[in-house]
Amino acid sequence: MRKCVKNAIKSIIFLLLFCILVEGISIILLPFDKVKKYGIYKTSAYEIVAEKDNSIDAIFLGDSLVYSSISPMEIWNSYGYTSYDCAQPAQIMPYAYDYLEAAIESQHPKLVFIEANILFRDPEKLPLYKKVAYRIGNYIPIIKYHSNWKKYFTKDKNSWLNVDKGYIYITGIKPSKKDKLNYMHDNDELEVSILPENIEYFDNMIKLCEENDIELVLLAVPSQKSWSFTKYSMVKLLADSKGLEFIDFNIDNDLDIDWATETKDKGNHLNYWGAVKVSAYLGEYMEKTGLLTDHRGDSEYKSWTTAYGIYKEKLK
Amino acid sequence: MSFFSPVFAFVFIPFVVIVYNLFPKKLRAAVLLAISLLFFAFVSRWLILYIILSIISIYLSGLGMQAIEKKKKEVLKTVEKDEKKAVKESYKKKKKFVLVMCIIFNVAFLFMFKYFNFFAVNVNLLLEYFKVGRSITIVKHLAPIGISFYTLEALSYVLDIYYGKIEADKNIIRLALYVAFFPQLLEGPIARYQDTAEALYEGKKVTFESFTFGYQKILYGFAKKLIIADRLNIIVKEVFEDFNSYNGISIFISIVAYTIMLYMEFSGTIDIVIGIGEMFGVKVPENFRQPFFAKNVSEFWTRWHISLGLWFKDYIFYPVSLSKTMKNLTGKAKKKLGNHYGPLVSGSVALLAVWLLNGLWHGAGWHYIFFGLYHFFMILMGNIWEPSVAKACEKMGIDRKKKGYRIFQSVKMSILVFIGELFFRAPSLAVAFAMLKRMFNAFSFRVGELFELGMDARDYVVLVFGLIGIFIMGILREKGIDVRENISKKKLVTRWLIYYALILLILIFGAYGQGYVPVDPIYADF
Repeated sequence: MRKCVKNAIKSIIFLLLFCILVEGISIILLPFDKVKKYGIYKTSAYEIVAEKDNSIDAIFLGDSLVYSSISPMEIWNSYGYTSYDCAQPAQIMPYAYDYLEAAIESQHPKLVFIEANILFRDPEKLPLYKKVAYRIGNYIPIIKYHSNWKKYFTKDKNSWLNVDKGYIYITGIKPSKKDKLNYMHDNDELEVSILPENIEYFDNMIKLCEENDIELVLLAVPSQKSWSFTKYSMVKLLADSKGLEFIDFNIDNDLDIDWATETKDKGNHLNYWGAVKVSAYLGEYMEKTGLLTDHRGDSEYKSWTTAYGIYKEKLK
Repeated sequence: MSFFSPVFAFVFIPFVVIVYNLFPKKLRAAVLLAISLLFFAFVSRWLILYIILSIISIYLSGLGMQAIEKKKKEVLKTVEKDEKKAVKESYKKKKKFVLVMCIIFNVAFLFMFKYFNFFAVNVNLLLEYFKVGRSITIVKHLAPIGISFYTLEALSYVLDIYYGKIEADKNIIRLALYVAFFPQLLEGPIARYQDTAEALYEGKKVTFESFTFGYQKILYGFAKKLIIADRLNIIVKEVFEDFNSYNGISIFISIVAYTIMLYMEFSGTIDIVIGIGEMFGVKVPENFRQPFFAKNVSEFWTRWHISLGLWFKDYIFYPVSLSKTMKNLTGKAKKKLGNHYGPLVSGSVALLAVWLLNGLWHGAGWHYIFFGLYHFFMILMGNIWEPSVAKACEKMGIDRKKKGYRIFQSVKMSILVFIGELFFRAPSLAVAFAMLKRMFNAFSFRVGELFELGMDARDYVVLVFGLIGIFIMGILREKGIDVRENISKKKLVTRWLIYYALILLILIFGAYGQGYVPVDPIYADF
């Protein structure tokens, strides 16, 4: 028994020291700005809190559809608005709510876009390992930022600058064979519903936006696999009932996505060229709202100009 | 499920250990078996039926063969001396019948899941060639996890009973646990009944010492996989998927990278299996013994995937080479070709059987068969040339035991192995040959080219340091030094510093997250 207690104490001390070590290293490896102010936990899950306070005009919440379809740098270059993809793979409503809550602690965006596909995701169906990985990622931030050690071994003085603002740049092409519009009918065979708990989270998000004077917009980016007429109708009803604006790129085909060249995976996600079209449209939409200011030329936003330069270099 | 997922290593394993320890010693084997079967069902769902059928088949066959043996002994006591031979023959036939039926039963599943489509595709090609208006339907289905591994384990059990090496097990839980022990299901090693069955059944408590010792081995496996294998995967994916865009040296680098990646992934997984085994007081056999220190291809295969090599040696090579036909052949060949080349004839026939099956075991595809034949050819050539090489070295005054010559041998052997692994990795024989052709036809070198393969200078530095670390560990193991044992004798502070360093090295320098694609468990499809 005595040996057992001794081993238990030893294990606890080992783990405690380990946690201290990890926390210490996290401070070295995490994006600089917000480690002290917001604590490592938040910086880990929500990259946006490492952005300069009150510098973001609009944020986009959602799953992989967001970070593959919307490039904030394109919007910045054409309109001078600062936006951020607050997206996570297979994001569920509770995580989107957490993200929004964390983001508005340091930012006061005028616009928040929610990619509506997440309304249809059942949080309960998220595999356990993904939930565990999400939690582990929150508490052990170096898992996400471990590769930042490389930034200490580079001559580039901008190596710590977040260039893509949540967007993931993909140029690969896997053409889709599906017809431009028929996919909306094809996908109608799938049974979908918006769960009451998702509506509850959605209502809370509306409340949060109202309290912070933010305009909330629902959005459905082009996707031949994830979207359908049924989903459109359900979200349209929801948006109308809440008095919200709803932009569905799958119905209003103004973008004219070329599914042979502008998708990375046979129609599910867009690639860079598809994202350019979506971003251009959203920039124009933001301009029409009259809520935002063009920050190009503003010295406070110099880092965005630098980031765009690096972003453009990457595209070459 | 990958063993390298944090959920498996740091949630599932501790959970299993806690549940296992909560039960009294007598019930622990049953608990471990239940967990193993649940693990199997989690990955392969209803296909669990097949592993259960395999276990029942070997259980009944084992008891059947034992009963025949017992009966034979009883009958032998009652018969006259001159009848004994006939009685022995008759019972041997009965035993053989049971064995053959059991082998057919188990191999049939393996064939159905792994080889049927390969067979069907090739038969259909023949039917088309001869314009027969019929074809075999291709069936798409998933195979039960680790079917190639547990089938060989199951067969080794009945074969060992047949050869009288072990007694049949009357306890089906012990036998089932030997076949289905969950860490071994994914990538082996192919243990023998006498290696693990008893220890698994014993139900030893997982102690603090065995738990921490086991985790040290698991961490070492993680380091190999995350720091080295997943980093090399960048080069491998880049070049193998678009080899026409790269010149000879890049293709060669990718082939070397693939072989090292395969070694790190596979041996890393085995480290995890061994580590888990150690927790439960089971000594799972080692599957790797510094393979790149071997001096020829033949020795390489006694150090790489050892358990598979031993299986083929015991159950294919020896039975074939020691069969009556082969003995006769050896006798005749010795007279004509002498004492070195004579036995080589029958040995080569057995070797050909081993390598054909070895190639097929690795996968249903012509490139796998070629992979097997390539190694057969290399080993055969090594055996044939050995006397001439020995003579030549003697004439030139080269001491074959000297370090320089040994390094030369290892480098030569490694290059031959790298080429063999190209056939293993390439999606088809045609692609493998096209890559080989391009490697020689478009051979040029620029230092800058190294950085066009997807890895930057910092990745290369981590890789080189990682490989140096593994190399030093290899030398220590080769010298019989048990590093973990030595660490355990050090003071607590030193010990903990080493553990922290290893964990942090994996966490920081591991090639995971954005920008990296982890290597899929390469042997898990077998």
